[in-house]
Amino acid sequence: MRYLLTDTLIAGLPLLPVVMGIYLVVRIRQDFDLTVDGSFTLGGALTALLLGHGVGVPLAMLAAVAGAAVAGLVTTGLHLALRIPVILAGLVMSIGMTTLNLRVLGRPSISLGDGGTLFSGLAGLAPGVRDWLTIAILAAFASVFLAAVGYLLLTEIGLALRATGVNARMARAQGVDDRRSLALCLALANASAGLSGALTVQSQGFADSATGTGTLLAGVGAVMLGELIARPGGASRVGRVLVAVAVGTLLYRLVLVGALRAGLQATDLAGITALTLVAAVALNRYLPELGRSLGRVGTAARHPRGALEASATAKEAG
Amino acid sequence: MLRLDGVRLVHNPGTPTEVVALDHVDLEIPAGQFVTVVGSNGAGKSSLVGVVAGAHRPSRGRVLLDGRDVTRLPDHARAAAVARVFDDPLAGTAPELSLADNLALAGARGRRRRLLPAITRGRRAAMRDDLAMLGLGLERRLADPVALLSAGQRQSVTMLMAGLRQPRLLLLDEHLAALDPRTRDRVLDLTVRTHQRLGCASLMITHSMRHAIEVGDRLLVMARGGVVYDVAGQRKAALTPAGLVDIISGLGDAPSDRQLLAG
Repeated sequence: MRYLLTDTLIAGLPLLPVVMGIYLVVRIRQDFDLTVDGSFTLGGALTALLLGHGVGVPLAMLAAVAGAAVAGLVTTGLHLALRIPVILAGLVMSIGMTTLNLRVLGRPSISLGDGGTLFSGLAGLAPGVRDWLTIAILAAFASVFLAAVGYLLLTEIGLALRATGVNARMARAQGVDDRRSLALCLALANASAGLSGALTVQSQGFADSATGTGTLLAGVGAVMLGELIARPGGASRVGRVLVAVAVGTLLYRLVLVGALRAGLQATDLAGITALTLVAAVALNRYLPELGRSLGRVGTAARHPRGALEASATAKEAG
Repeated sequence: MLRLDGVRLVHNPGTPTEVVALDHVDLEIPAGQFVTVVGSNGAGKSSLVGVVAGAHRPSRGRVLLDGRDVTRLPDHARAAAVARVFDDPLAGTAPELSLADNLALAGARGRRRRLLPAITRGRRAAMRDDLAMLGLGLERRLADPVALLSAGQRQSVTMLMAGLRQPRLLLLDEHLAALDPRTRDRVLDLTVRTHQRLGCASLMITHSMRHAIEVGDRLLVMARGGVVYDVAGQRKAALTPAGLVDIISGLGDAPSDRQLLAG
C-alpha cells in the first residue's frame, strides 16, 4: 500500500500536461487529435537523443516541446490544406511519426543512463527520499504548466479558442479566425504531449518508441474520470477544468497501478484502459440520471450529456 | 457605406444542383440608413446577407465597405465593420460559455486579441450596465451559461453584442422570425434603438410586411436573385402590407404563407 501513492504520482504527474492538451482538443475544440500519440513519443525521443549527446536538460526539453508543437502544426496544415478531418490527419501523422520516432531514437529503446537528466541530482539519496523529491520536481512542472494553460484560457486569445469549439459560426461573426484557433489548439496540445514525453522518459530512465501509443485514448479516459469528479460543465469554469484534468489523470493512473498491485500483468493494462474508458463513459452518461432520480436535480440539469456524446452532437450540428 | 457592384453568386457551380442565388445585384447603402428587405423564399435575401457578411464569396462583382474592396475577405476579417444577428436566436451566442464570456468575446470584435485577461472587474461592471439596459434582469446572471437563457433573452444578448465595438453595418437576417410576438416587438424595439445609438447602416431581412414598412428608411423587394423594387421616404410610408404582398406576388414569385399571415 505504501508505494501505491508514490507510484501513482510518479507515473501520473508527468502525464498532466498531455491530458490537459487532450482536454483542449476533445472538450474545448470538440475534436480528436491522434497526433498526440506520436508527439508524446517524439518528445521523449528528442529528450533522450539530446541528453545522450550531452545537451543540457532545459534545452533538450525545450526542443522536445517545440518538435511536438511542430507536429501539431503539420496536422493542422493537413486538415486545412487537404480538407481531411482532424481525426484522420492525426491518424496519418501518428502512423508516420512511428517511423520518425524510430529514426530519432536509432533503435526501439534507449536507456538514459545515470547522468544528465532532471533527476540525476537525486541519484545518491535513499529510495524513499528520492521518490518524494522526484514527485516534488514533477509536481512543480505540472502545476506551473496547468497554471499557464489556465491563464491562457482566461485571456482574450483563450476565450476565442473556447468559443470556436462551442459555436464556430458565432465566433467567426465576432471576428475570430477559427483556422488560427485550431492551429493554436493543436500546437498547444502536441507541445503538451511533448512535455509529458520528456518528463516521462526522464523519470523512468529510458525512452521507448512505443511509449506514446494509446496516449489519446488514455487521456480521454482520464478527462472523463476527472469530469465525473470535478464536473466543470462548460468551458467558462477554467479552475474546475484544471481540477478535473489533475484529478482525472491521477485517478486513471491509480486504477492502472492498483491493477498491477492486485497481481495483473503489464500486458493486461491495455484491457484495463479500455474497461476504465467504458466505465467512465457509462458513469458520465448515467450518473446524472441517477442523481436526478435521487433528487439532485441541479447537478443533472447542468450536465445533461456525456463527453463523447456531446462532441458527437456538436459535430452533427457543425 | 456598403456598395455592391454587379454581384453574382452561384451555389454548387458545375453540378446538377447549380442555382443562381444572386445576379447583377447593384446596391448602395449610405451610412446611417436603415434598409428593410422582403421577398419570398428563394429570392436571394439570405444570399445577399451571406455575400455582405463574407460567408459567401461572389462568383462575379465586388463588395465594398466604406470604399474598401472586401470581396475576398472572409467573414471573420470583416467582423470589425459588420455585426451580425442570425435568424436562429440560439446561433449568435456560445451556449456553454457564461454570459460574461460571450460579451467579452464580442467586446474584442475586430481588434487584435491579446494575452491579457478577457474579463476584468471594469469590463464586468460595464457588462452589467449594458445588460441592465435590456431590462431583463440579466445583469445579475453574468456567470450563468448562456444555455440557461430563453431564446428571446439570447437574441437580445446577441443584439447587445452586435452593438458593441461600433460596427459600420448591422446585418439582421430575419432575426425576429423565430420569436414569439411579444418578444419580437421587444427585440425590434431594441434593434431600432441600437441602430439609432450607433448611427450605423442597417440591413434587416424580414418576413413581416408590417415591419418592413413601418421600420427603417428604405425598403427593398428581392426576387429571382435581384433587387426588383427599391422605395424610400413618403412612398415607402404610403405602402400597405396588402399592397406590398401584391408587389411581391406581381413579380411572379408567390408570397409564402407566413407573409400572408404576417400582413
